[in-house]
Amino acid sequence: MTGIATATRLDSEAMSKSNDTHTRFVNDALPYTDQLYAAAMRMTRNPADASDLVQETFAKAYAAFDSYTQGTNLKAWLYRIQTNTFINQYRKAKRQPFQNPLEELEDWQIGDSDSITSTHSRSAEAEAIDRMPSGIVKDSLQQLSVDRRMVVYLVDVEGFSYQETADMMETPVGTVMSRLHRGRKQLREMLAGYAAQQGMKTEEKQ
Amino acid sequence: MTTGETQGVAPASDCQRAKRELEEYIHGELCAADAGDIRRHLETCDDCNAEHTVGVTLTNALKGACKEAAPEELRDSIMNALRRAQAEHQG
Repeated sequence: MTGIATATRLDSEAMSKSNDTHTRFVNDALPYTDQLYAAAMRMTRNPADASDLVQETFAKAYAAFDSYTQGTNLKAWLYRIQTNTFINQYRKAKRQPFQNPLEELEDWQIGDSDSITSTHSRSAEAEAIDRMPSGIVKDSLQQLSVDRRMVVYLVDVEGFSYQETADMMETPVGTVMSRLHRGRKQLREMLAGYAAQQGMKTEEKQ
Repeated sequence: MTTGETQGVAPASDCQRAKRELEEYIHGELCAADAGDIRRHLETCDDCNAEHTVGVTLTNALKGACKEAAPEELRDSIMNALRRAQAEHQG
């Protein structure tokens, strides 16, 4: 369904594309397919919607490729299109704003209560995270709320700056920091819980 | 009684600042001067250093866990759409 709609849009846009632009798009933009799909999987959480999202991202990117300035960050440009597309779809589907400002208290600047845990237990925590099966890490990320999940993904996995992430999500940098902090904290708790369940050592030995 | 062992113990205010800025440090968001302060503190503070290690390990775990290959059908349909677009343009 979406595939056909996308193809139609691409066909009509093609009338104004030169061979050069077309080749440049295929050579420069298409290599990001895997990365955009991985990001789409984190956003939509299922393969069918992720594929639709990536397809639509490329259709929009192709249509707008003339407005992309060569030499600037193509990856960030593509991610911005995909993030915008996803957020708009999400808003439409849920009929509610993507972000809930009340939920986002700026608590990133407050010291964590868990900083009272000992140095020893934190070495054990790092070791447990290091040995954690990647499937568990991925599942834990998927359990975060959509806004935290996206920020953690864009910053930690893709390495975008806070400002780039804020631009993509059309949100203040402080909100990015807050979501990132909460998301990472929640991940640590989930992974520690899993480790404890599996008998991995995260507690201090006496 | 004095604490004979002072290594790995830093002023509490340094630790507070380090903990507050650790996430930004890990993500390369601090300016060079601030990053230098944190780096020096981490060298002398076991506690903050351990916290830093957890943070870096988490980032690396996430990076390692999130690799995906796009399904072949997706690749095909993108390529097909582009080919169709190009053919129409030339025709």
